[in-house]
Amino acid sequence: MMRRLSILLALLLAAAALCAAEFTTIEDLNGRDIGVQTAVLYEELIMDRVPDSTFQYYTMPNDMILALQSGKVDAYLIEEVSYGVQKKNHPDLAVLEEPAGYINATCIIGNNERQDRLLSELNQFIADSWENGLLDELYDYWIADFDPINDTCDVTGFTGENGVISVAVEGGYEPFSFISNGHISGFDADFICRFARAYGYTPEFYEVPFEAIAPGVETGKYDIGMNIVVSAERNETGTLSDVYYTTPIRLVILGEDESQAGFFDKLADSFYKTFIRESRWELFVQGAGLTVLITISSIVAGTLLGFLVYMLCRKGSRVANGATNFFLWLIHGMPTVLLLMILYYIVFGSSRLSGTWVSVVGFSLMFACSMIDMLRVGCHAIGRGQTEASRALGYSDSQSFFRIILPQAAQHFLPIYRNEVVTLIKETSVVGYIAVLDLTKISDLVRSRTYEAFFPLIVTAIMYFVISALLTKLVTLVEHAIDPRRRKKDKILKGIKEIE
Amino acid sequence: MIEIKHLRKVFDDDTIPLKDIDITINDGDVISIIGPSGTGKSTLLRCINMLTEPTSGSIIVDGQDITERGCNLNEIRKKMGMVFQSFNLFGHLTIIENIMNPQITLLGRSRQEAYDKAMYLLQQVGLASKVFAYPDELSGGQQQRIAIARTLAMDPDIILFDEPTSALDPSMIGEVQSVIKMLAKSGRTMMIVTHEMDFARKISNRIIFMYDGYIYEEGTPKQIFEHPQKEITKRFIQRLSSLTYRIDSMDFDVEAMNDELNAYGEKLLIEAERLSKLMLAFEEICINNIAADADTPDILVKVEYSEKLDILTMLICYKGERFDVHSSGSKLFQDLLAEHTTEVKQEDISDDPLGYEHIISMRFRWAEEE
Repeated sequence: MMRRLSILLALLLAAAALCAAEFTTIEDLNGRDIGVQTAVLYEELIMDRVPDSTFQYYTMPNDMILALQSGKVDAYLIEEVSYGVQKKNHPDLAVLEEPAGYINATCIIGNNERQDRLLSELNQFIADSWENGLLDELYDYWIADFDPINDTCDVTGFTGENGVISVAVEGGYEPFSFISNGHISGFDADFICRFARAYGYTPEFYEVPFEAIAPGVETGKYDIGMNIVVSAERNETGTLSDVYYTTPIRLVILGEDESQAGFFDKLADSFYKTFIRESRWELFVQGAGLTVLITISSIVAGTLLGFLVYMLCRKGSRVANGATNFFLWLIHGMPTVLLLMILYYIVFGSSRLSGTWVSVVGFSLMFACSMIDMLRVGCHAIGRGQTEASRALGYSDSQSFFRIILPQAAQHFLPIYRNEVVTLIKETSVVGYIAVLDLTKISDLVRSRTYEAFFPLIVTAIMYFVISALLTKLVTLVEHAIDPRRRKKDKILKGIKEIE
Repeated sequence: MIEIKHLRKVFDDDTIPLKDIDITINDGDVISIIGPSGTGKSTLLRCINMLTEPTSGSIIVDGQDITERGCNLNEIRKKMGMVFQSFNLFGHLTIIENIMNPQITLLGRSRQEAYDKAMYLLQQVGLASKVFAYPDELSGGQQQRIAIARTLAMDPDIILFDEPTSALDPSMIGEVQSVIKMLAKSGRTMMIVTHEMDFARKISNRIIFMYDGYIYEEGTPKQIFEHPQKEITKRFIQRLSSLTYRIDSMDFDVEAMNDELNAYGEKLLIEAERLSKLMLAFEEICINNIAADADTPDILVKVEYSEKLDILTMLICYKGERFDVHSSGSKLFQDLLAEHTTEVKQEDISDDPLGYEHIISMRFRWAEEE
């Protein structure tokens, strides 16, 4: 058996080696799967030369490494600078000699009252920086000669006399924007900090997935979005600054691994990079804290809101029920991410409400909807007879509901409630879309720095398990505490002398 | 005490269970409301404590019209107990709490008072050992007795019983009825919707026969049960309901008839053996002979049971050639004819409005064992 397995393994390795060696020109990749980051539009550069290829879109640049290593794609497109960093961590990567093209990156300016002023100031700063060599200097420091551990970005010294500017960056995109020692760092961050210092602003950074930067800026949520690759379509809708860097785009393929490190060395190294270096475990703790905060706030607010709305609908008012059903339909029918993005960019677009609280609002609404459904089902299951019997005895409508119907309905819907809580915890993992650094987003950011998948993913999963288990336990305790059948006999007859 | 005037109820689906009802309920009355299903008996009862809101008319309780807006129904209802067909004990509370809690919440009694009262009533209904049981741990009869105790604990002026034994197993009807009988004897004012005629007759001083949304006939038990004045009351009391079948092709569904007959028998407590005899006679006469001999059969069969006389009758009217039952070749059928509990009559008729020419009438009695 072992023998057979080892033969199989050897064959697989040989096949992998064969595959790895076969690409030398861009045309060789025709018909193959090619990875590209969502919304950067690099695929347009080579589309004509590989007409039969399929492009696979990835949100995080580093996910493409895993995709390449596991054979999901045969090559991927990335800026030369990012490749440089990736190669340091993954010696098995190689690159085609011919670049796929060059890209010019610009900033997108928010669609709000400050747009014109910011645009002219930023363009002036870019022009000056080309002139005095600052942009070349930054390029050399961050890109050509990037040192992921020691390079730092000065995020202090802002006067803020002209106000705060909100800046959307990817956040998981070395060397342009990434989290180092708990602070934002990288080329984009450094560039904007220098601009802010020169023009009297205080920058506030939001880590947003690439595809959410442009929409967020266009709705005016952020003042500046970084690292926007110039294309015709973008120019139609967005207001773009002048180009602030140019860099070649490379096609990365699998080469040969020259490193000799053993399995356990790699594991230890991976653990060190994921948790110890730059005290990254603190980020995990913060992320978990935010996840718990959003979850618990949403559960409490959602439960109260749902209960309140149910009480308004309970008497069968047509207006209240009609409105409630409409919102149930609207909110239940929408993917969570969309609901959050609509709330963040449109409903609360002009307010400065942070992503965290927008998430709480969104999840509270969703939980309230579930709560209304649970109450409806639960109270319906109790049946008219209980209401009639209590009303016939002389209980008022609210006495009947709170003393007779609700305690029985609760026993019906609490098990569903418990499930809804677990579902909610898991659903909060999408809040990264609206710039909240929750557990999942932290895990993404750490992975983007360490180029490791194993520890961040496993630890994140375990943390979700622990949070779910604790909250489930809490609901179960409540469930048991209010279960009438778990009461002791002496509690039922408290303070009563029995007659003999 | 309670005066009901021109009470009318129209449901949303336009059915009218109550058309025009007038009754006066005096202190100490025990009134049984009887009548066929769907004639508004339960609706009337539910209107009296406004669980169902009447469309028009008035209900005057101690000088106050409770159908008027602004009337404090909760206070009125505390004085009117109601016992439901489906018991409706509170599922999350123990038996003792089911009886104690309404007293504490609604009458402001102390826990000790409420407990003493509850224990006294539990002893009265014979369930003092079930203090800590939950409703779903009790039988239907026990639950109904608890429901009565819960109502009594509120010291109501009147108790409304809505088919209190209809949902019960026959073996449990007795225990509930005897509790109600005990209450009737103690002089409580009560109103009972029931299908148990004997029970109604024994406990009531007034019987109301309802039909089609009206009070069709009213009187003492003696007047209603022994000398009903009106046609429908008479028929209802004698339970002369019947089943009719028409056979006009060879595809007649004998199985469906058999099922219906069994259901009919179950309702009226007719012995299965007697029904199978009737079925045997029907198949032999109608299916195997008359229908088989005719090209286009036309047979009308009417099955009737008189509870009073304890006779099951089958009337077969048919057209075409005459069939003599004694000419049947079936041994089983001939044996049946020979039994002394079976009577058969055959005659020819003329000027029948439907044009039938011959009648066979068979009567099946039940012989008590000697």
